[in-house]
Amino acid sequence: MSRMLTPILNQTSRSILSHRLLPRSIPPSSLKANFSSTSFRLLATPQTGPQTVSSQPTRTPNPMESSVKQEWPDYSKGPSALDKAAQLFFFTEILRGMWIVLEQFFRPPYTIMYPFEKGPLSPRFRGEHALRRYPNGEERCIACKLCEAICPAQAITIESEAREDGSRRTTRYDIDMTKCIYCGFCQEACPVDAIVETQNAEYSTETREELLYNKEKLLSNGDRAEAEIAANLQADHVSFCPA
Amino acid sequence: MSLARTIKNIRQVGLKQWFRDMTYIGDAKAGRLVGQDAMGNKYYENLNPHDEVPGRGRWIEYSQDDFNASQATPEWHSWLHGIRHLPPTEDPIVQQSRPPWLASYKENLTGTRAAYKPYSTTPPKLQAWDPVARPRGQEAKP
Repeated sequence: MSRMLTPILNQTSRSILSHRLLPRSIPPSSLKANFSSTSFRLLATPQTGPQTVSSQPTRTPNPMESSVKQEWPDYSKGPSALDKAAQLFFFTEILRGMWIVLEQFFRPPYTIMYPFEKGPLSPRFRGEHALRRYPNGEERCIACKLCEAICPAQAITIESEAREDGSRRTTRYDIDMTKCIYCGFCQEACPVDAIVETQNAEYSTETREELLYNKEKLLSNGDRAEAEIAANLQADHVSFCPA
Repeated sequence: MSLARTIKNIRQVGLKQWFRDMTYIGDAKAGRLVGQDAMGNKYYENLNPHDEVPGRGRWIEYSQDDFNASQATPEWHSWLHGIRHLPPTEDPIVQQSRPPWLASYKENLTGTRAAYKPYSTTPPKLQAWDPVARPRGQEAKP
């Protein structure tokens, strides 16, 4: 019986050995010794792991399992661990920590020292509003009232009249900055880039009425910050006009 | 910040400036003087991550004793906030964007006599009735 089975076993073991799931580095003799007469079971064999074992020496996180011998530094010579710990902890690190504590003791809690250092802002930051002018000094707003129509907080009030030369201009452009939610819809709705939100967020006031901006205030905001506004629009013009 | 950085910065800026900075910014900072705006504020930069925490590399030294955050002029403000990479003295986009009618910057003047007061830019549409009492003894003319 056993003599008859031997060539069959050899044949199956050879076919299994040629299967790509098995690591090729395992010698066939060890496989043959473990084989029984029942069929070889591959049911629980992991299918997703590495299929072959590379010829490189295996590295595992456990240094005892790694076949690579690691060179450990020789700690038997030099200062003892106690000496080094005494130097590190009792002098350098404690003193360095004490210096930090001493510094922070005389400072307010801070992340950045605000009025001197300011945090990063985007060119699309939406702050105080401004009305812009064309490069020749003509005001841009043509009183189309799209911003007034789209304003979700209804913070914008516009009245318009024909100017002496017949062009339509606003006579009233009021923004209630206490109503405004700084959504930026007005500057997106504007067809002539007249109303923009500048990057200035430092316009807090002592009284509430100072936040009821009229047209003159908005135009003067634009006149003072025109270079900054134009540079910001230039920085984002690719995303504003995709074509 | 480390003691070594503090000593290095003191050696760089000098004892007098260091003492002023400690009573002013509250930190021994040292950096390159990038420029000065129209109001006389000085702008410094040190982007070396070993010297300054990222985000604290650009700072302003106000010219006025009574400083506030709105005193940075708009072009330098955008540099200080990291909106523009280059300072306005070197930025070609900012320099080309300066129109001739660009107004001089004013800080936030709230709380002073120059503070903005809102007013209507249109004439009133309703005129209030102004009662005029006719002297006695005069009849209404037909």
